[in-house]
Amino acid sequence: MAKWNAALLQPLERAGLNRDRRRILYAFLAAILLFAVGEIVHPGFASPGSIGAIVMVASFVGLVAAGQTFVVLIGGIDLSVPWVLNGASILLVTSSLGQDDRAPWALLLTLGMGAAAGLVNGVAIAFLGVPAVVMTLAMNGIMEGLTLGLSGGLTCGACASYAPPVVADAVHGSLFGIPSALVLWLVVIALVSLLLSFTTFGRRTYATGNNPHASYLAGVNVRLITILLYVLSGLFAALAGILLVGFGGQASLGMGDPYLFQSIAAVVIGGVYMLGGRGHYLGVAAGAVTLVALVSVLLAMNMPDYGRNIIYGIVILLLLLLYGREEAED
Amino acid sequence: MPPIDTPAVPPDPTAAAGGRRPRRGKVTHFLGQNVGLVLALVMLVAAIVLYCAVYWAETQSLPGNFELTSTVNNTMPLVLAAIGQSFVVLTRGLDLSIGGTMDLANALAAVHIHDSPGSMVLWSVIVLAIGAGLGLVNGLLVGVGRLQPILATLATLSIYQGIAIKVLPQPGGSIPPVYTSVLVNPFQPYALLYVLLVALVWYAFRRSRIGVAIFAIGNDEQSARANGIDTVRARVTSFTLSGLFAGAAGLFLAATATAGDATTGNGFTLTSIVACVLGGMNLFGGRGSGIGVIAGAFVTTMIVNILFFSNIDPLYQSFYEGLFLVVAVVLSTAIGRFLRRSR
Repeated sequence: MAKWNAALLQPLERAGLNRDRRRILYAFLAAILLFAVGEIVHPGFASPGSIGAIVMVASFVGLVAAGQTFVVLIGGIDLSVPWVLNGASILLVTSSLGQDDRAPWALLLTLGMGAAAGLVNGVAIAFLGVPAVVMTLAMNGIMEGLTLGLSGGLTCGACASYAPPVVADAVHGSLFGIPSALVLWLVVIALVSLLLSFTTFGRRTYATGNNPHASYLAGVNVRLITILLYVLSGLFAALAGILLVGFGGQASLGMGDPYLFQSIAAVVIGGVYMLGGRGHYLGVAAGAVTLVALVSVLLAMNMPDYGRNIIYGIVILLLLLLYGREEAED
Repeated sequence: MPPIDTPAVPPDPTAAAGGRRPRRGKVTHFLGQNVGLVLALVMLVAAIVLYCAVYWAETQSLPGNFELTSTVNNTMPLVLAAIGQSFVVLTRGLDLSIGGTMDLANALAAVHIHDSPGSMVLWSVIVLAIGAGLGLVNGLLVGVGRLQPILATLATLSIYQGIAIKVLPQPGGSIPPVYTSVLVNPFQPYALLYVLLVALVWYAFRRSRIGVAIFAIGNDEQSARANGIDTVRARVTSFTLSGLFAGAAGLFLAATATAGDATTGNGFTLTSIVACVLGGMNLFGGRGSGIGVIAGAFVTTMIVNILFFSNIDPLYQSFYEGLFLVVAVVLSTAIGRFLRRSR
């Protein structure tokens, strides 16, 4: 079995596909496979319109997962995503009151709030030595309490406002025939990939993830990197909140909850190593598409709620075991 | 805040032991070794005092038997879930599937436990066995399948929740009153006996061969393996124990609610981690005490009680819980560092 595996992998190695690149390839293959399965069980599933809708929904997961990728690359995790996202969506509508002339300030305020939550996470993790799991878990509670308390449980007068038309139009509009949320995601994919692969900041991120102590001794400002990465994670969660409220029109409570599981799952399917130091955002983007396509296939099959939960878990386990196997034989 | 001269990495456990530091006094040594446990107990005492104070301010009387009974009964599921979590935390892992296992145990209990003593005993045993089995699956995925604990249990959480919803699609079913009065007697704090039992089980675990093995792989897996410890078996056992205790937690949850709901267990995944952290468990593995975790579970419940009696808007509840969690962790880290430095 091992020999057979090696025989299969050798040509891939020769073609310049090292382990990390193969994982990106697998993530894309999984997405394509799911679309093929979807087309079989539900003809029309892989039509351009349906693919467009799925990729559009995947862009929200993908944006949150971008932030998650940053912190996972240094072996961290951001559990505060759900309520930073939810708080951001509510802050946008309550501060803009659905008016275009207030929109720029509301957007700045909302993004600033996400960055501030990330900043507090980063500072506590980098300087006070609080484990990332504990700090971001507590931050999720803090944001939940603040959001519920300040909005009176979403009963405040301004809470029923709609997203400013300029934001809603931007999300629903299209650029060169491509939905603009998708355009934004493509830009983010390009920027994040460039940032991680071709800048000193990116190299320092990978270095910190591989060995924080060695990086520190090599002159990397580990604390600064850590803080910046958590700020980016908060920023992306807030950005996803803005897009979601622009997409749906109004904010609601609990709208961020699904994004914790999905962002982490996308990061994993995308081949990012949970202990840090290895992985690319391109794979994560494919992972986000895979996840949303999987849910859509199950929905198209009229799978009841419990069945979706079970199959969802099993598919993720299978993907993980595939990666794990290769890990052991490399 | 004291200046820290190392980057953000887990503190090196060998650093404190090595070096030519002068010997410390016995009391300081004990405090330094068990700082998490001591702080958890201090927090518990402080929480009880504060609770009595706000209770007095509100009702001009001290809390009595009823308050004690309801607090103990309401905390029992968390005590069991947190102890289950602590076995996995000792090995440097996290078990996110605890909520799912509790959901399934809760649903099974509500559907199958009837008035006859036979069905109560039989189904309690079956549910505990299923809990242990689910834990075993996690353990095999992590130990033999070499998956990251967080990822494997994130996936099984989804699976276990799905099965629980299949067993009990809508909240309902019923738990016989006899069963409730045996597990969580609503009139007398007999459930304290279970707390004592859990503490004894922990003590036995700590002294057992497998307990030593689990502590060892949490501290340094390679050294543990070099010393002949079967690391795979230790890891699988820790997850199995976690599942077993999560199953028990689900039974207690059903008994407290006297009915079943396949979603109420979800929150326990995170609160069990909170109770472990407040109880002085080191999330980097190999350090911690079950007694501290029990205290941590009670502190978690007491905070909610205190907030209730201080007339704080319940909407802000998670804000204060989150804030308290951070402050408690930061303070205990700082005090621990101080105690290990001073003599």
